[in-house]
Amino acid sequence: MTVNYKSVFDIIGPIMIGPSSSHTAGACAIGRAANSIFQEKPTDIVIHYYESFAQTHKGHGTDYAIISGILGFDPDDSRVPYAIGLARDQGMNITFIEEVKDSPIDHPNTAIIDLSNDDKQVTVAGCSIGGGTIEIREIKMDGFDVKPKGPLPILLVQGGENDHQNVTKQLADLTKVNDQQHYKTDRGNLYEYDLDRRLKQDEIERLTQARTKLVYL
Amino acid sequence: MYMSVAELVTASQTANKPVYELMIEQEMEMSNSSREEIWHTMGRNLDVMEAAVKKGAAGDGVYSTTGLTGGEAVLLKNYRAKGKSLSGDTMMQAVQNAISTNEVNASMGVVCATPTAGSTGTLPGVIFTLKDRMDLTRDQMIQFLFTAGAYGMVIANNASIAGATGGCQAEVGSASAMGAAAAVEIAGGTAEQSAEALAMAISNLLGLVCDPVAGLVELPCVKRNAIGVGNALISADMALAGCTNKIPADEVIAAMDKVGKGLPKALRETGLGGLAATPTGIRMKEKIFGRSADAEVHA
Repeated sequence: MTVNYKSVFDIIGPIMIGPSSSHTAGACAIGRAANSIFQEKPTDIVIHYYESFAQTHKGHGTDYAIISGILGFDPDDSRVPYAIGLARDQGMNITFIEEVKDSPIDHPNTAIIDLSNDDKQVTVAGCSIGGGTIEIREIKMDGFDVKPKGPLPILLVQGGENDHQNVTKQLADLTKVNDQQHYKTDRGNLYEYDLDRRLKQDEIERLTQARTKLVYL
Repeated sequence: MYMSVAELVTASQTANKPVYELMIEQEMEMSNSSREEIWHTMGRNLDVMEAAVKKGAAGDGVYSTTGLTGGEAVLLKNYRAKGKSLSGDTMMQAVQNAISTNEVNASMGVVCATPTAGSTGTLPGVIFTLKDRMDLTRDQMIQFLFTAGAYGMVIANNASIAGATGGCQAEVGSASAMGAAAAVEIAGGTAEQSAEALAMAISNLLGLVCDPVAGLVELPCVKRNAIGVGNALISADMALAGCTNKIPADEVIAAMDKVGKGLPKALRETGLGGLAATPTGIRMKEKIFGRSADAEVHA
């Protein structure tokens, strides 16, 4: 069994602006994941919706929710309903696409986000599995095509074998690693770790200090 | 981590601890946090719930931007004041609290999703009614939420809490089951009775479809929380009376998962079936959205 709900606050929570936990708070969380991966300000945002997301995104406020996540807002931020205007004010071009095909990552609440600017492009495929909890099932970044199992938290580290060993050692003191993958291209290595529990802010900061390219989702 | 209702019940009996205590211990371990931090976070959730319960029934009430829902928590409050309700004031207070919370949600107000936003009124409906009926302290209300969360985690990890995956049974059904199980514990029932209440609550709502008009969390979602809260109190009362579901809770949860997977897509939060597909439902959708304006459609 996949354990997606690891905290009591996944069930009693999140505190959020209505109306839908999967289509609003969950969409915000997928946007936040894309924001964490991109780590810069995008100039172009393209959102592909599938299935239930494609049919009901307007009614649920999914559009502003996902953009608010890309801007880094929390789901209970009072700016959430105004996120699209705020993003356009910052010069971001936004396109929403209702895809008619079934979700390529096999979930009815799927959003695939393309973020780009002059320097780079990333694609993040996420699904909202209920109550604001999400899975990230594909990430295209820096030439890597990462396919995590889905459940968060996920840690991505770019670097060499040394970095992998360091991170593994640090993680051993913090939590169990449920799964890990190694991706290699001519540009380098990427290590992906599926963690058993969410890390606290200070724990993430300790991991980050030692590394230049680390993403925690 | 507790992965089944049976595990929770056994652990509660073996350790002679209420389920909320088991939940707090698990959360401390999983989040590497102190008891105080966790308690504080749950208290904040309770505060958000209380604010929504009050807000929806205050003054003229709250209304969604579409005008499909709103103002009915106030209607219920005024009706209750006459003292002539058919199902008694405890039930009507619970219904008012649930509707009030979901009207706040539909009006894009702040809620605590329990377990989801669409089913956000059910648990507050139970807890703030029991508060008055049983003189619950703040600490007891927080305990209630931990117990509800423990059972909710089991449901979510074994089945689903998303309408798009499992239909409304997964949302309001799960919320109702969580409320029923926690109500039993706070009323002094055993963990076994909580499990029976949970099993009855889900069994009663098994097969409930997710068919939001225009894809909005308004019709019929707001009022489904009234049946969620009513069903929670009824199931808790039945369990406390000694009634049993005969089919064990874990098997009921597995059945809910299977039923959800068997539902056609039109009845899983696509806004294409059920009440959404009635002539009136379709007219409402067209009136609100007109033709697709700001999104491209890729065939």
